[in-house]
Amino acid sequence: MSDPVAQLIFLIVKAILMPVLIITFVAFVIYFERKFAGFFAGRVGPTYLGPWGSLQSFGDIIKLLSKEDVTPLRADKLVFKMAPYIAFIPVFAVIAVLPFGPVGGGPNLFGHRFDYVIANFDAGVVLLLAMGALSVYGVVLAGWSSNSNYSLLGGLRAGAQMISYELAMGFSVVGVVLMAGSLNFVDIVNGQAGNFWEWYFIPQVVGGLVFFIASIAELNRTPFDLAEAEQELVAGHLTEYSGMRWGMFYFAEYVNLVVISAIVSTLYFGGWRAPLTVLDFIPGPIWLFLKMIAFIFLYMWVRWTIIRYRYNQLMSIGWKVLLPLSLANLVVTAIVVSLQG
Amino acid sequence: MGLVDIIKKGVFVDILRGMSVTGTYFVENKVTVEYPKEKLQTYPRFRGMHALLTDPETGDTKCVACMLCATICPSRCIHITGEVTPEGRSHPESFNLDLARCIFCGLCEEVCPVAAIVMTKVYELASFDKGDFWLTKEKLLANQVNAHKEVFAAPAAGAPSGVTRDRPVAGEEER
Repeated sequence: MSDPVAQLIFLIVKAILMPVLIITFVAFVIYFERKFAGFFAGRVGPTYLGPWGSLQSFGDIIKLLSKEDVTPLRADKLVFKMAPYIAFIPVFAVIAVLPFGPVGGGPNLFGHRFDYVIANFDAGVVLLLAMGALSVYGVVLAGWSSNSNYSLLGGLRAGAQMISYELAMGFSVVGVVLMAGSLNFVDIVNGQAGNFWEWYFIPQVVGGLVFFIASIAELNRTPFDLAEAEQELVAGHLTEYSGMRWGMFYFAEYVNLVVISAIVSTLYFGGWRAPLTVLDFIPGPIWLFLKMIAFIFLYMWVRWTIIRYRYNQLMSIGWKVLLPLSLANLVVTAIVVSLQG
Repeated sequence: MGLVDIIKKGVFVDILRGMSVTGTYFVENKVTVEYPKEKLQTYPRFRGMHALLTDPETGDTKCVACMLCATICPSRCIHITGEVTPEGRSHPESFNLDLARCIFCGLCEEVCPVAAIVMTKVYELASFDKGDFWLTKEKLLANQVNAHKEVFAAPAAGAPSGVTRDRPVAGEEER
């Protein structure tokens, strides 16, 4: 078998396997979110379906699929039905550029070179930011097409929040890009070769924190879940959705959580690299998976601890704190990198 | 905003403090009682479904059909018809209690001069049949097995009457 054919087969296998693995993982992330929501409040969470309630997500899917799919009478039908997919698909596109193991080198699988990345794409960071900005269209369009005041307000808030935090997020990523000298995630991980003190989270501590906080806003999670603030907006952009269409939004949110956790690990915590080089015998995907789990847990911990910020607080954090900090981080990083040559 | 505040916010002091609270709850024992699987013990004076006690010596109901419970009942849910037995003892011919109207105030239990009507630990009273809420004398007598053991002894054979009341039984002399 010639090498291009083998690469094509590998590519197809990776492109099918990764989304399937992530979707399966997301089902359990949703279960753990509910379980941990209970644990953080001294309760036990779901316990009935499967051992310790571990099949709860699948029960939920069956429940959602069997429910009636209501479309409001005066809704913009086409947009209303498209919105969940617009929220769902851009999230998956980012998976393609994330390396989950070593890329390049000699033949390592069946006599062929197996790259642990779907697309070794030179502008991966740009794709990440573009897709992050696209996925908010799902929320905004859902809010607009529902023809409901609550939905509209939720969509508008999501849009305003995304504009405020996307900027800080983009600027903080540029710091990493400058240090790695590349927009390619593969090169960013290669730039963090070595033990854990070589990772970017130490030189980029400010940028990393800004990115982490902005990513919570990007994920629409508490304390930045203004778009679906239950107390004020019923369910925000989700108010008019029901059944599996609602489930798609919910699912997209958690796929986003998993992907953003992978991105934080990749940008600041060495991606698939082991924390100590002596641990390199453990394969890269396992390390990436462990780091993702750690960040997912951190996101959940933050979510079930901190209450929602008010809208003006959200805006002032975004524009008066995070944006100047990320700009300062960018300037300092640029000076240091250029002085080092 | 002073410098201290800025530093506090910069290193997330308050947020970390909050997260330590939730983190403590995360590892602590959970407070949930998984109700249908596990149940809490009721308190010894819990006011659940009523019961009529029988006299352990004669096996007859203790009730003397004095109508005090029916009179004091704020929701008028107790309906008694009295009769006199051949031995000359006053005795309820029928004793019906409408549980659907009962407010579980426990006044009937308090006012009863012979401690015949008591409230038990039974609290799972939901039913699909409205007739289940009409407690007849037979149902009330059958329910005495659920009476609080701490307050009223079980109607076992040969056991002392077990009625422990901290105030004297009123109205005994009048009859």
